[in-house]
Amino acid sequence: MKYLISCLIVFTALTTSAQKFTISGTLKDATNGEDLYGGMIKVKELTNVGAISNAYGFFSLTLEKGTYTLIFRSTGFESKETVVELNKDIELKVELDIPKDVQNIEEVEVKAQKENENITGSGMDVTRLDPKDIETIPVLFGEKDIMKTLQLTPGVKGAGEGNAGFFVRGGGADQNLILLDEANVYNASHLLGFFSVFNSDAIKDVSLYKSGIPAEYGGRASSVMDVKMRDGNKKKFGMSGGIGLISSRLTVEAPIVKDKGSFIVSGRRSYADLFLKLSKDTSINQTQLFFYDLNAKANYRLGDKDRIFLSGYFGRDVLGINDAFGFNWGNATGTIRWNHLFSNKLFSNTSIAYSDFDYGFNVGSGEDGFGISSSINDINFKQDFDYFLNSNNKMKFGVNAIYHTFKPGELSGGNSSFNPIVLDTRYGLEAAAYIQNDMKIGSRWSLMYGLRYSAFNLMGDGTAYEFDGNGVLTNSTEYSRGESIALHHGLEPRFSISYILSENNSIKLGYNRNLQYLHRVTNSTTSSPTDIWVPSSNNVLPQLADQIAIGYYQNFNKNMFSFTGEVYYKALQNQIDYRTGASNFLNELIEGEFVYGKGRSYGLELQLQKKKGKFTGWLSYTLSRALRTFDAIDNGREFSARQDRIHDISLVTMYNLTERVALSAAWIYYTGDAVTFPSGKYELNGTVIPYYTERNGYRMPDYHRLDLGATFYFKEREKFEHNLNVSIYNAYNRENAYTITFQEAENDPTQTEAVQTTLFKIIPSITYNFNFK
Amino acid sequence: MKKLALLFSCTLLVFSCQKVIDVDLNESNPQTVIEGNYTAEDSTVVVRITNTSSYFNSDASQTVNNADVTITDVNGLTTNVPLLEAGIYILENYAPEFDTEYTLSVQANGETFSATCEMRTPVLIDDITYEFFPSIFGADAGYAPFLNYQDPADQTDFHLITLGVNSKEWSELTDILQQDDALVNGNYVERPLFGRSLFEFGDTVHMHFRTVDEKIYSYYGQAISNATGGGSSAPGNPDSNWDNGALGFFSAYSSSRKSVVIE
Repeated sequence: MKYLISCLIVFTALTTSAQKFTISGTLKDATNGEDLYGGMIKVKELTNVGAISNAYGFFSLTLEKGTYTLIFRSTGFESKETVVELNKDIELKVELDIPKDVQNIEEVEVKAQKENENITGSGMDVTRLDPKDIETIPVLFGEKDIMKTLQLTPGVKGAGEGNAGFFVRGGGADQNLILLDEANVYNASHLLGFFSVFNSDAIKDVSLYKSGIPAEYGGRASSVMDVKMRDGNKKKFGMSGGIGLISSRLTVEAPIVKDKGSFIVSGRRSYADLFLKLSKDTSINQTQLFFYDLNAKANYRLGDKDRIFLSGYFGRDVLGINDAFGFNWGNATGTIRWNHLFSNKLFSNTSIAYSDFDYGFNVGSGEDGFGISSSINDINFKQDFDYFLNSNNKMKFGVNAIYHTFKPGELSGGNSSFNPIVLDTRYGLEAAAYIQNDMKIGSRWSLMYGLRYSAFNLMGDGTAYEFDGNGVLTNSTEYSRGESIALHHGLEPRFSISYILSENNSIKLGYNRNLQYLHRVTNSTTSSPTDIWVPSSNNVLPQLADQIAIGYYQNFNKNMFSFTGEVYYKALQNQIDYRTGASNFLNELIEGEFVYGKGRSYGLELQLQKKKGKFTGWLSYTLSRALRTFDAIDNGREFSARQDRIHDISLVTMYNLTERVALSAAWIYYTGDAVTFPSGKYELNGTVIPYYTERNGYRMPDYHRLDLGATFYFKEREKFEHNLNVSIYNAYNRENAYTITFQEAENDPTQTEAVQTTLFKIIPSITYNFNFK
Repeated sequence: MKKLALLFSCTLLVFSCQKVIDVDLNESNPQTVIEGNYTAEDSTVVVRITNTSSYFNSDASQTVNNADVTITDVNGLTTNVPLLEAGIYILENYAPEFDTEYTLSVQANGETFSATCEMRTPVLIDDITYEFFPSIFGADAGYAPFLNYQDPADQTDFHLITLGVNSKEWSELTDILQQDDALVNGNYVERPLFGRSLFEFGDTVHMHFRTVDEKIYSYYGQAISNATGGGSSAPGNPDSNWDNGALGFFSAYSSSRKSVVIE
């Protein structure tokens, strides 16, 4: 590691000379003191020299001695110019104002890219969303959902009607690393996937990396979704919230000490079950069906060099029918972070994060009752350094260790006729070290190269099993606590290069290799909280993805429009599926139920975006394939993955009709999912059974839908603003197929028929939002 | 899990709808389907041989009438199973030897198929009790029977259960309930059984409790899931005990029956 760093320093030092000084500092929102992430610092006198603020608002820029005009810019803010006399190191605290002359609502600008950072940045395209920018986009039941809006961007496909789960570039739903303030979120959805766990009111920013994934991220094969919570208002007390059809939200934020620290607490609860209470039927009015989320975060600045953050998330879904049946699941995460400035060039972030996902059933009560529970939890230590070597080189390096505890399943029988079962608890240590340099060569080339080394050690106690090719148990070995059952490790190179053709266009190429040591195996149509996470072991090898992508980026009309075109090819190894007829319920021999194969996906993604003006939005088109090959499935014939949607179009538009009214529309079209339909039938026991010939050989009907939305802003008072959002999901009432089942005709058992279920026809909804400033 | 999904679906029912649609399906080559049942309680082997047909074909299944069917016991003694009527081969008075394997061999459509299944000693129903259940989710209130039996501790057991009421037998594939001893090995089991509906006062409830081998138990689970549309995103043909790619199964099983009048 040290050797690597010194190599990099020597290499990068070759490009430096003359007497240099560093300008460093922080960039903030003047209204509430929130750090500005991704703000631009440009030097007027020099072309293609600048810096971008990191997730904590910190920037550092090293220049030769001289007088410079610095321009600070961030989307949605007035830019600021400062002249500096650079003859020593300088520290700046810059606060940007929201423009006074423009009404808030005219600032609806999509922050997927900052001005022309899409052109000049070295990394591959990153999809960035700010909840503020997408608040007028219509969504199901009017529940703002950042994960559903991400599905409208190219290369990201939703897991199904109304579902918050997603697939990136042909990868599996378990191949997305979902981080909330650096803590891993294992199950990011509520109500079997219809809503994500991210309450938009508490979210500052979401970045989705689809390719050229930076070396600081690891652990999942396909993508990284990095969600950052808001820090809270550092200037004054604020309270905001909303009342919707499904849930209500309330957020409170305030300074702890003005300009030094702040906190935010945001809660959300659904209340469908409150309506059930109105029913006279005791089985219905005693039914529980709700979810809630609580986000909390506090930060405090200790002097100029240190800052501490504390953030947490707690959310649960609860489902129950009086005493007869109960089912609940949820995530909990907590993060402690410490930012420290070692110098004006070396920024350090130390985090300790905890995350937990668990579910539990209980059936019956009293002495006949029994319960089932399962959990996974992590303790995550992460040390990251940002080293701003000079204006041409920005390095990142660090280490990461995660200690996982897997409790795959436990049945407690009480006095019921069930025997208690406790599946062996497993422990895993996932460790990684990385180094990366972001480098500019001349005014046209930039290069980002990094290397990540990761390892996973699965430890007992308990029994490890061995299986033959047919999943038959052949051997078992006992391990004691902490003894290594299997060790996997590997190098993950990351690389991207960009060539700036002009101020308005560039081409980029990226490669990344990702290893994934934890796997969520599922065979059901909907994502389920009971889908189990399986660690790599003596049987299960780590998933491995290699991806290469090339992109062309162009801005025109003074960055008002941007065009992105990317092609990619991704190869996946050690993919997992269930054997036919597998049983995953409290099965200690679960690994014998797996079959292994490989996959590949490739595609073309095009997006045209209008980022400024009264009328904003984007049009995106994806042409792609996602294919899998398993020796044990269809005799090794390559088949389409379920999410192999060949054509995928999204059109998202937002229009500010007047100062008080914002309109929006989204139209979505995609090729139907690849599915398995019968090619024949036969009878058993007098019942018709479908006969299948190939995996995913058929297609669901093509999916399309139009959503409309309108937001009415009421007259703003000094201390209070409020608005009403009305939306219509599936406005032209398209009956999209959620499932197609093949069965005997209900009134004539000699006939067979195909029955299509449509989940959501036209759904109007209304949400009221308020904000005390 | 499926029940849970169903419950969620119920709450979303306000918005959802179902309709019969036309789907263009491929034609597949006809495959041999062999449904073999050897029942211990009447010492009879019944084998039904048919071919698969296209999915929306409404004609009765095409039967295979010229097959050679034999059954072989653990001692290697082979007995012919003769054709009785179209596609149906029956051998009567074939007394079972419990806890031994039987092999059914079929020559049909120019190919040879064989499947082996263990005839298990029956586990007996001890008692049928019943309990009143109030109306739930709009369904009628009524009585549910409880299966009571002593699970043997020294073996793994697999059962298929069907119910009947008065003179009616609920014996379609989708009526079959499953019970294994993965969670209850060695225990005295009391399990409520829910059939097509709850029972009324005065009904006579019949229970048929079969003891089958593991492969057959797993086969039924998969076949029932396929027949009901399933919850799987990637359904496949059930994993059969037939070699050589035949569909269907050969099940040798023993039974225990009991009836009770709800009063």
